[in-house]
Order: sequence, then structure tokens, then C-alpha cells
Amino acid sequence: MTEANRKVVIIGGGPAGLTAGRELIKFGHRPTVLEKTERVGGLSCTVRYKGFYFDMGGHRFFTKVDEVNKIWQEVLGGEFLRRPRMSRIFYNNRFFHYPLKPLNALAGLGICQAILVVLSYLRWQIRPHKHEDTFEQWVTNRFGYRLFSIFFKTYTEKVWGIPCSELRAEWAAQRIKGLSLKTVLLSMFLKPQRTIKTLIEEFDYPRLGPGMMWQAVAGEIEEKGGRVRLGEDVVRVYRTGNRIDSVVVARDGREEMLPATHFLSSMPVSELILKLSPPPPASVLAAARHLTYRDFLTVCLIVRKRDLFPDNWIYVHSAQVQVGRIQNFANWSPDMVPDPSKSSLGLEYFCTEGDALWNTPDARLIELAARELETVGLATRADIEDGCVFRVPKAYPVYDASYAEYMATVRAFVDGLENLQTIGRNGLHRYNNQDHAMLTGLLAVRNLVLGEHNDLWSVNTEAEYHEEITEKTLTPTLQEYFPRIDGVALAGATGAAGGLALFLATILLVLKGGAVVGPTLGLLGQYFPGYTVSPSGALLGLLYGVVAGGALGWTFALLRNTVLLLYVAIVRRRVELGLLRRFLEFV
Amino acid sequence: MDDPRTLEHLLVTRMVRFNATVQGVVTGLVLGLIVFVATIWLVIKSGPVVGPHLALLGQYFIGYRVTALGSVIGFVWGFVVGFALGFFLTTTYNWLTDPRHRTARRP
Repeated sequence: MTEANRKVVIIGGGPAGLTAGRELIKFGHRPTVLEKTERVGGLSCTVRYKGFYFDMGGHRFFTKVDEVNKIWQEVLGGEFLRRPRMSRIFYNNRFFHYPLKPLNALAGLGICQAILVVLSYLRWQIRPHKHEDTFEQWVTNRFGYRLFSIFFKTYTEKVWGIPCSELRAEWAAQRIKGLSLKTVLLSMFLKPQRTIKTLIEEFDYPRLGPGMMWQAVAGEIEEKGGRVRLGEDVVRVYRTGNRIDSVVVARDGREEMLPATHFLSSMPVSELILKLSPPPPASVLAAARHLTYRDFLTVCLIVRKRDLFPDNWIYVHSAQVQVGRIQNFANWSPDMVPDPSKSSLGLEYFCTEGDALWNTPDARLIELAARELETVGLATRADIEDGCVFRVPKAYPVYDASYAEYMATVRAFVDGLENLQTIGRNGLHRYNNQDHAMLTGLLAVRNLVLGEHNDLWSVNTEAEYHEEITEKTLTPTLQEYFPRIDGVALAGATGAAGGLALFLATILLVLKGGAVVGPTLGLLGQYFPGYTVSPSGALLGLLYGVVAGGALGWTFALLRNTVLLLYVAIVRRRVELGLLRRFLEFV
Repeated sequence: MDDPRTLEHLLVTRMVRFNATVQGVVTGLVLGLIVFVATIWLVIKSGPVVGPHLALLGQYFIGYRVTALGSVIGFVWGFVVGFALGFFLTTTYNWLTDPRHRTARRP
């Protein structure tokens, strides 16, 4: 198919879809991007209310993917601010630094609780869960149950809405880089600590929030001949066999059919399956219906006070309030707050579309948020000037106990569709961040235009895709250095060398002869009873050399293997503690 | 641990092999340098009798003395002996560990 008659429709105007659109423009195509809502950015959108900008979720801009960083700089460049990062955890009426600082955490917990934390840690180190099937088991085995219950349980359950004992450990494994010890070691050896420190302490942020980025990209696509159609909901996807023919979009009750040769879809993959016509096999439909999502809503509050607190955001672990996270947008970018005497806050409530919280009227949600803000002690209800509510459906694909099985069925069917690729967080039902969602868009376009065979499902969190190349390169080196030394073989070798050396040293002096033969070498007799510098002594020396050399070699191997294992264990523990400190960023 | 791709698996199941030539060169260089530095150090310190004990190496290293020239000769001898030692040790180790490892892997 020539480029001239290739027509591409992109479903979804979020980071993945718009990045794909921008890339297609570069290759000379004029794609059509269909966005269901009235604003671009998807899960990375920014909403505006009375001149205040609210970021739905708080999106720091840092990435290890060079191509993504290049796009950010090309699109916004000078509009980025380098912001200091501060965040804390609110638990038990106290604030804890986040990432966790051991002394601050222990001081905040109090001496009794701290002792219990340590005892609990030791108990789970001695007798860990035999299987790590659930998130609770995974964390408990690493940090102890008490620490888990304080810093992980309540917040994770607020976010996911299911008990940690039902959340798959696989979720943690996919979300957190560092479970593979090889990756841990690579990150210890290869990544400059400075970079990690920088990522923790500061970040880039568009002056008016992430939506600024996606409005600029959408503008670029339109300017160069593409189309970004807002408020266009894809209601049906027509196919013939394994090929998609067209999509039907609905707007204001009118429907329009859009045929194309190629399709990229970042809409939730379960919705895509259910909108196919003719429908796929029943097993695929059933699997799609079993894929679940977690949603959230943000109550945006305008507060009549400035400098309410220094954090960019606060994690609220306390079970006494429902709010999960509180964003302070002035600390993300001062330009998001038009009146410097005021503050704008985003109180994030995790819920599920259709549940009681989701359906609560906006006015009552604002009232709830104001009350909880006062409970946390950040502002009084009298300080609240105004507020609004934004709901974000399907924000997080849920990795429950059965998702992997259903996802495999869905994926097998989607992979069989010749001219469709799914991209983005919801298109792939993977918990990708903005940068990796963008990467899936980029790679999908390369598959389409250049005929590459990039596996979009492998694009994972924390640049694993990127690092795989490095791992592949370094695997032979690691295999060279980390296996054990065979103690018996080394004992044999050093024994043979030692015995031979002593035999030769003795016999050489004996053959040379002289008035006094080998007085200095003869001193070895002090340690080797019966040894003399003589022909018979040479044979005895051979025996002694074998025994002493062998013992030396075996001891060396034992020590080296033990130290190596200890070293690896220490490295692993250090990285796990690092994970603990930054854990919530992955939730 | 059961995943053969993990480093943990590697650590407990695989035995390291050494490259004999590399080990020979490294051991040779180390031993050569030790003899060289030990000799030149005594030469620089000087005194009425220079290095009477170290000079005993001359029993094995033909031409070796505790002098400036001797330090160079000592380096060469040290390298030769060290290389032979390192090469022999490594070859013997690999020779011994190969059949052991193969046996261990048999079901």
C-alpha cells in the first residue's frame, strides 16, 4: 500500500493517540484523531475553572525514554518549569516525609510503634509467606506486616478499592522495577545516583499543566493537515474478518461512518471489543467484560489563602477520611493560580464508576472535600471560596486475581486484527505512565509506516523496554562474573600447583647441591613436620603442598562465594528499601 | 529462583570458568611487579648489605640480583613464573570443574 492511499484513524486523543498522530504527520500522513471528550490529553488532561488550572492526577514530566523527552522539548521547550518536589504522607494525624526518611518515619511513629515495626520486620524475615501471590504477601515478606499496614495498606486499598490480599503480586512486579535482581544490579552499576536523586528532588512541568502539552500537539496536527475531532464518541467498529473497515462516531445524536485503511486505538480495550461488529467469539466478549478499571474524581477547591502547605501533593493514608491524595497546584506551577493571594487544591477520591461516591452530587462532594480538608488540618471550611468536580473514568486498569487470564484471551484476538493496533494505558490495559503511553504511540506508527515489529505490549513501566537492550548486552558479562567458584576444583588446582611448586623448589636446590643445601627453604620444616631439602623431602613437600594448597584454594572459594552472596543480598536489600521509600509513586 | 534467567538462579547453580590466558597474564603481571617493586625498594634504600634475603631468589631466577638491573630481570622472571602459575591453576580448575558440573547436571 502506498503512502498516498493510506488513511489512518486514531481513536483517543490522549498522550498515546496524539503522539501517534504527530508522528504520522512527520511521515507525511494526515491522520484523524477522534476524542470522546471535549478536551485533549486523556488521563493527562488539565481542566480550567474560573481561571484556575487543575491537573487531573498530577503529572511530573521526567522520562528515561530519550525519544519522548525529545518530543516534550520540541513541543513545549521554554514553557517547562523545573520544579522542586515535596510530598508527604498524612497518617495518624502526623505528616511523614515522602519518599520516606527512616529517622523521620521512626520519630513520627513513636518508640513503641518503631520497636513493633522492627520486630514485625524480623518476624517476617525469619518466617516469610511461602508464596507471594498477593500484594499483601509480597510487601509483608519484604518490609514486615506492621510497616505494610501503616504505609501501604490503607492507601493502596483506597486507590484500588479491593483488599491488598486480593491484589495480585504481579501488579507490584510489573509496576516496580527492581524485582529482577539482575535489573537491580544493573541499576546499581549503570545508573548514576545523581540522576535518581534529581528525579526524586525536582521535575519538569508545563507552565499551565500537562494539558498545555496536548493542546500544543493537537494544534500541530491540525496545522499540518491532520484532524483532531473532539466530542466524537466511537460507538461501533465495523470489521470484515480480521480487518477493520470503519468506525462509527456519534455526536449530538448524529452518527457518521469513517472508513480507513489503518486504525490505532487507545480506547479501553474492553470497550473496543464490545463495540466490534460483527462481534468477536463469545469467549473474547466474556473476557473483555471481565476486565475492570478503577476511576477517580477530583474535587477542585479554590481557597482564600496562599501558601497553605509546601507540598506538591500529600498522600492521605488515614482511614478517617476518604480522600486519597491532595494536590496543591500553586506548588506545581504558580501560573496555574491566577490570583496569588489564593490557592487551588485538588482532592482526589478513588472510586468506581457508578458507585455511591461517583454518583454523589457535586455540591455534596465539595462539602465532603471541605470537611475532610479541615479534618486533615490544611484549611478551614470558611476558607473555601468555590469548587467544582471532575470525574475521570477508567483511570487505572485493575490487575485483579483473574485479569491475566482474561487479558490473554483479549490480546490473542486483538493481535489477530491486521490493520489495528491498540496503544496507551487503556488500549493495552497496562499500567503505563504518560511517557510509556507515548512510546506505544510512536512504536505503533513505526510498525505501520516502516513495517517494524515492535511489541507494544512489552512497553512497560520504568523504561524496562529501554533497559532490555542493555540487559541483553550485559548478560554474558554478568554470567561471567557472578557464578560460584567451584571449591573442590579450585582446591584441586591450587593443591596441584602448590605441591608441584614445592617439589620443584626442593628438587632444584638438591640438584644444585652445595655445602649447605637450601637452609632457608628448609625452614618450612617448622610447619611441615619431617620436611627437609632432600629427595625424600621433595616428595613429602609435594604431599604437603597439595594439602596446604588445596586447603587454601577451598577456603578462598568458600569465602569468595559467601561474600558474593552477602554482597548480592545487601544490594538487593538496599534496593528494596529504596523501593519502600518511593513505593507510593507506583501505586 | 526457579526461573533460569534470574541472577539468583545463576548464583546457586552455575560454576564460574576462567580464561587461562587472561589469568596467566594477570598473575604474571602481579608477581612480576611484586618482585620488581620489592627489589627496587631495597636498592633505593641501599645500605651496607642490600637485600640478603631477597637475593635468595637468585637460586631460582638465573641472573637475578638485588640491583636496578636485577629488578628488571626479576620482573621478567616474576612474569614468567606468575604466568605459568596462573595458567596452570586456571587450566587445572577448568579441567576439574567441567566434568563435575556435567555430572551434577545429570538427572
